[in-house]
Amino acid sequence: MAQEKQILFERDELVRTVNRMAHEIIEQTASPSELVLIGIRSRGVHLARRLARKVEEVAKTAPPVGVIDVTPYRDDRAREQDPRAVGAFEIPVDVDEKTVVLIDDVIFRGRTIRAAMEAVARLGQAKRILVAALVDRGARELPIRADIVGKNIDAGAGRRVNVMLEESDGVDQITVSDW
Amino acid sequence: MSRRNLLSIADLTNDEIEEIFELADAAEKLRADKPAGGRIMATLFYEPSTRTRLSFESAMHRLGGSVISCSDMKSSSTAKGETVADTAKVVSSYADVLVVRHYWDGAVQAMAEHAGVPVINAGDGSHEHPSQTLCDLYTLKREKGRLKGLTVVICGDLKNGRTIHSLVYALARFGASVVTLAANGMELPQYVLERLEREYDYTLAPVATGDLKAVVTETDALYLTPKQPHQLALFTQLDPGLQTRLNTMVSGLRYDAFYMTRKQKERMKEGAAGNSYPTIGSEFLREQRFKNTVVMHPLPRVDELSPEVDQDRRGIYFKQAAYGVPVRMALLKFLFAQNEAKKAGAKKPATWFESPEPLGPQCANPNCITVTEPASARRKFDFLAGGPGGALILRCLYCDHRIKVQLVGHVKSKRYCAYDIALSDTIKNWFTNKELVIFDSIKAAEEIGYEPYKSGPQRNIMDQAAIENAVRDIARQILGDCEDPDRLLVLGIRSKGSYLAQRIAAELAAAQKRKIEIGEIEIYGSGDEIRRLSPADPEAGPLNLKDREIVLVDDVIYTGRTVKNALDIIFRSARPKSVRLAVLIDRGHREVPVKPNYVGKHIPSSERERVRVKLREAEHDEKDKVVIYSIISPVEQQARGLG
Repeated sequence: MAQEKQILFERDELVRTVNRMAHEIIEQTASPSELVLIGIRSRGVHLARRLARKVEEVAKTAPPVGVIDVTPYRDDRAREQDPRAVGAFEIPVDVDEKTVVLIDDVIFRGRTIRAAMEAVARLGQAKRILVAALVDRGARELPIRADIVGKNIDAGAGRRVNVMLEESDGVDQITVSDW
Repeated sequence: MSRRNLLSIADLTNDEIEEIFELADAAEKLRADKPAGGRIMATLFYEPSTRTRLSFESAMHRLGGSVISCSDMKSSSTAKGETVADTAKVVSSYADVLVVRHYWDGAVQAMAEHAGVPVINAGDGSHEHPSQTLCDLYTLKREKGRLKGLTVVICGDLKNGRTIHSLVYALARFGASVVTLAANGMELPQYVLERLEREYDYTLAPVATGDLKAVVTETDALYLTPKQPHQLALFTQLDPGLQTRLNTMVSGLRYDAFYMTRKQKERMKEGAAGNSYPTIGSEFLREQRFKNTVVMHPLPRVDELSPEVDQDRRGIYFKQAAYGVPVRMALLKFLFAQNEAKKAGAKKPATWFESPEPLGPQCANPNCITVTEPASARRKFDFLAGGPGGALILRCLYCDHRIKVQLVGHVKSKRYCAYDIALSDTIKNWFTNKELVIFDSIKAAEEIGYEPYKSGPQRNIMDQAAIENAVRDIARQILGDCEDPDRLLVLGIRSKGSYLAQRIAAELAAAQKRKIEIGEIEIYGSGDEIRRLSPADPEAGPLNLKDREIVLVDDVIYTGRTVKNALDIIFRSARPKSVRLAVLIDRGHREVPVKPNYVGKHIPSSERERVRVKLREAEHDEKDKVVIYSIISPVEQQARGLG
């Protein structure tokens, strides 16, 4: 079977885009000191760490980085009996009165972000929650938006968008391929 | 009905605690007298326990009574969805005293309110564990001969440990000094410090350098000085490098006890595994200045306390566990005697705040019983005027968490405004007259028809025809996006969203020549959150959301938090195929990443403006319209006089 694979971003472009997103995050916040970045497992975490470094470089203040695994919150996973079975935050952060930026590699149907918002609410009362995604595929199933987007890709439901990052995949690259 | 329970260590006066200790000293006599003969104790443990449960059960047997219990509350009717209130009512008729442990903060208090017999709290969430505190105090007193003037170092996880919270209150009351050495990120919660300050008359002040260089550096230490009587008490909150500090505590102060705690992993929202945690081993105790320092631990231990210490005469934690039985025997005997004599309890706030409206402030603690199971505990708050900076603070009567009041309203005039210190006398009056309403959000206030105090002139931005056009247009777009009209469900957010949902559904039904199912979702209620509006057939059963194409409808979208809450409610109940959002007005200022799919009209507005949608269904003899007006800030209001 012929595999169609198209490279959308190479390393330089990806790095430039992440840097631009960091600037947008700073712009959208009243004060960089109230920023909190939360990376969604697993590539969202690498992105969050990169964005945090860049924010620190530009704004001279390092935002705390939280790590969240939304699997227990995902609605497409079997329900736990115990409502307290949370365990979603691998690294919790203080979110009270903070501008929280949820970071993921790809935003698509919106279900991950919804689940992440619910998890953030358990940590405290955030002043604002923003979403930053390297790729926005559109085709949302929920009324959820990405505030900061690296690139919009209308790949169609039958195609797959792969974000690869050096930290986990050894290479910075975004590709679109057939399933 | 003034039944004596033990829910918090504050339920007992110091004299009563001493009385219990005297009874515990004479435990052998209690064992011979069997004062609980013919009585039954029920143990309801919703969380695992070894020591607490066994020592309570052993204590009851030794007092001549008997014990019934449920081996696993999860497999009981709780699994069928019984509320804790109902469980308490039912079990009350089987037993003479209930001993309860629950994973929700305040759940045991809620059960006590519904039970017909005394209730003992054996640990509620991260809140309190008063019988453990009695054991701790008793151990200290037996080992040291007194409590007053002792210096106790409390180490480890001070945030999640419920035993710790009860213990520090009690130590403060008995005039012991407390040094807290919290593991990083596990400091005593602010509300515990505040309660110590307010109820036990301690003042928090920064430490004078020199005094305390012994223990910590200037910045991370807090002195807690009782105003009267004059005892030294000191509090420190530590940051990293904790172990070093623990190891380098210099003489100057005498330490009577180390109270070590385990990391409360089950109460953490994370794995937080890599964090440093202080440990105590025999090496540590070799130092001269600790020669009379006893080491306590509520057990179970993990690895913070080396087994080497077991051999040391100062390691008294197994003794501490052994004292659990005589102390609990004494406690049960005390409660039975008190309830026979119908003696009133130590303290109860005479007045508390309870919202006169169905909507009111919500406790900020997501694990509080008033949040997790509102049917069992109606929200009640201690009303604390004069918080920091003149803030108005509510303290949850179930879990002690605090919320700062932002918006207040007046139940008779149906008006609201932002809380401001200048209004405090007026607010106190309202509170006394039971006319005070407190809101978490403007949305909540307006949801039940409250208008802001003093508003600027209204401007019409949509008339009836414009609204009708917008509804028709939204319906057309919904049909365009809809994959399967049979699966469509129009879900209005109560109350104006529901009216609009019905109008939109009527348009859809006309265009499709078929019935469209309509539901309503209630964000601020405490009962059924989602219900069917049509077809209004009582036989139809609950609304099914699974795999539906839901169109959520609201009148105005502003911060987006209402929609976020609606999504949470929807996803708690089922997994829909999709949720799309329709609003009549989008006025901007989003605080959460929510975006409507269908918008009747975008209205750029300032945060000081209010947009109100007026609909025939809600406002009598009025035409549909949307108006916008400015509100006037509390300071201006105050200048003009309020009321």
